[in-house]
Amino acid sequence: MSVVPLQTNNAFHQDPKFGRLLLLSLIVHALVWVALSGGWFGSGQRPKPPVYYVDLIHKPVLNPQAGRPEPRPVSKPKPEPVKNTAATPIPAKEPAKPVVKTPPKPPEAVIPKPAPKPAVKPAAKPAPKPAVEPDRRTEQKLQSALDEIRQRQTREAERDALKERLAKLRESVSAAATVPADVPIGMPDGQGDEVGVSALAFVQAFIQENWVLSPYLLDQSRIANIEAKATLAYSASGKLVRFRINTPSGNQQFDDSLKRAITKSDQLPQALPKDLELVVTFNLKDIAAARR
Amino acid sequence: MFVRWMVVLVVCCALPWSAMAATEIEISAPGEQSIPLALTQFLPDQGPQATRVAAEINEVLEADLDLSGLFRFVDPAAFLDDAWRISLLSNQVNFPQWRMLGTETLIKGTYSLAGQQLVVEARLFDVVNRRLLTGRRYVGEVKDVRHMAHAFADLVLEALTGEEGPFSARIAYISNQTSHPELWLMDVDGKRPIRLTNHRSIVLNPDFSPRGKEILFTSYRANNPDLYRKEIYSGKEARLSYKPGLNVAGRMAPNEREIALTLSKDGNPEIYLVDISGRVLKRITDNWGIDSDPSWSPDGSRIAFVSNRQGNPHIFIGDIFTGKAERLTTQGKYNATPAWSPKGNRIAFSRQEGGRFDIYTIKTDGSDERRLTFGPGNSEHPRWSPDGRFIVYSLDKSGNRAIYVMRADGTGSRRLTTLESDCRHPAWSARW
Repeated sequence: MSVVPLQTNNAFHQDPKFGRLLLLSLIVHALVWVALSGGWFGSGQRPKPPVYYVDLIHKPVLNPQAGRPEPRPVSKPKPEPVKNTAATPIPAKEPAKPVVKTPPKPPEAVIPKPAPKPAVKPAAKPAPKPAVEPDRRTEQKLQSALDEIRQRQTREAERDALKERLAKLRESVSAAATVPADVPIGMPDGQGDEVGVSALAFVQAFIQENWVLSPYLLDQSRIANIEAKATLAYSASGKLVRFRINTPSGNQQFDDSLKRAITKSDQLPQALPKDLELVVTFNLKDIAAARR
Repeated sequence: MFVRWMVVLVVCCALPWSAMAATEIEISAPGEQSIPLALTQFLPDQGPQATRVAAEINEVLEADLDLSGLFRFVDPAAFLDDAWRISLLSNQVNFPQWRMLGTETLIKGTYSLAGQQLVVEARLFDVVNRRLLTGRRYVGEVKDVRHMAHAFADLVLEALTGEEGPFSARIAYISNQTSHPELWLMDVDGKRPIRLTNHRSIVLNPDFSPRGKEILFTSYRANNPDLYRKEIYSGKEARLSYKPGLNVAGRMAPNEREIALTLSKDGNPEIYLVDISGRVLKRITDNWGIDSDPSWSPDGSRIAFVSNRQGNPHIFIGDIFTGKAERLTTQGKYNATPAWSPKGNRIAFSRQEGGRFDIYTIKTDGSDERRLTFGPGNSEHPRWSPDGRFIVYSLDKSGNRAIYVMRADGTGSRRLTTLESDCRHPAWSARW
């Protein structure tokens, strides 16, 4: 009768090689750890991976927060006042120089100026004729008085307009100067909660930058009224997918300039938050207003 | 149930559309108001290299196109190798290279010289759309090189604006270079002046016929200010009107069948209409004041003129058929030499204020008066270019009087005549 050993649930006791395998595993883990921590393949002085700082503050977003779209103003360091450390020595008084009297100049010969030549004009311009009748004279006086009044009114109007423009300029300059540096990046009229500039404003500025048109190309009287509409579709990657001039202006030069601007704007420099379809109205209202 | 499903379907379909709904934006001014232009040097195609020819073509093109105010020239120092390759076809031009330089338009050209015969090929390309805008082949003599370049400048303006430029026209003026005021003719850039009269008297007030083949002028050759007509090509000259007294300021009507001029045969200077043989057809003005300097409206129905009938000399507009006149200017003590623009919408004139003359323009309804010249000297005798883009005038800024040109808005003024002698009374011809 043979004795059969009792089977137990303990695997450790069941497989005698298990302990060795566990030991081997521990050693291999230790070796891997040593190798990865730099002890094996080299020193710990490996070059650090470069760190890129990405400025995302001008990222075009759909719902920008209120703020300013332009970069943060760089405050110029104030020049330190130069301290006058070295005391300036008081200069010693120089001995007074003897005053040398210059002999009086002989009187210059008086050169007579040539008499002005009478200007001979080949054709006399129409000179005002003296009025013969007394009522003509009164009419003339009235006319000149009226002219003077008109001139004065025009001068006053011009002065008022100038004052108004100056006041506006001052206002805008003072407003720009009072923008605090810590205002967040956004749009002045932004009401959303995303950090970045308005995607629409971004696309608008980019197309405008690419639009080249000389006002001399056009009939000057048409500048105030000329207008064209185009539909542009951008993918989220900023690529122009398609465009169409919906309402041409009727002026070939104006429409050609738009096509060139759109062709040049076929790839935006930054991606958009999503696909964008725009109806862009092109006109010259700003130029017309500046000329008024 | 069906209706409910339909509603759901419509909402589902509408959702993506609402997400893609087009947003409207407005761009109310271009980012740049001058067209970037690369003007390459013209290269020799066949025959010997003539640096002078190439330089002259470029000089003329650059001056003309710069005066137009349309362009911003790309610095030639930035040009890459395509600038030195003969490529007159759009598929030969390396457009990406030019686009990289930020230009939108490109002028390239070649010339061939065989003896005195010159062939110039010139092209204007649209860099953005990679296409040929216009091109021309000019055949002539070496002495015509400037005229060829002026003609191509006109063509460039036509390709970009739809209206030909005025650079291949000529400017007539009065100069006392030969000690007498005589009639002269020059290119619109002041080059190649030639004398047309030798009256050894006083010649003044020239004006071209609308087609530019003839010039009217007044001369004291017969000891009286008489009106003369001269054919430019043949040189033939005829005394047209020699009534006693003044026969001055003759202006040919747009139909070239009538001439408006000032006659003082009845004592008082008035404006009359005469035919091309000098026969009086009609008296247009009739009042106690002096009426002078007529200028035709482009449709030939009205004239602008100077009159002192209401006191100081002012500009009036008179109807040719009814003789009725209306005062145009109200400011200034002395308004003179009106010139009706070829477009018909404005009248240029000179006005004395503060002791000196300046050029002004005004709309024909008396509104929107604009002063164009400022600074020292008297600016007088304004006349329009045939396309209405420019105004030529005389200015005595630097002692002697010289001919100047500027854009119709008063910008880009430049001197044309460089003579020490007096130059005045310019008139711009139609295109030749």
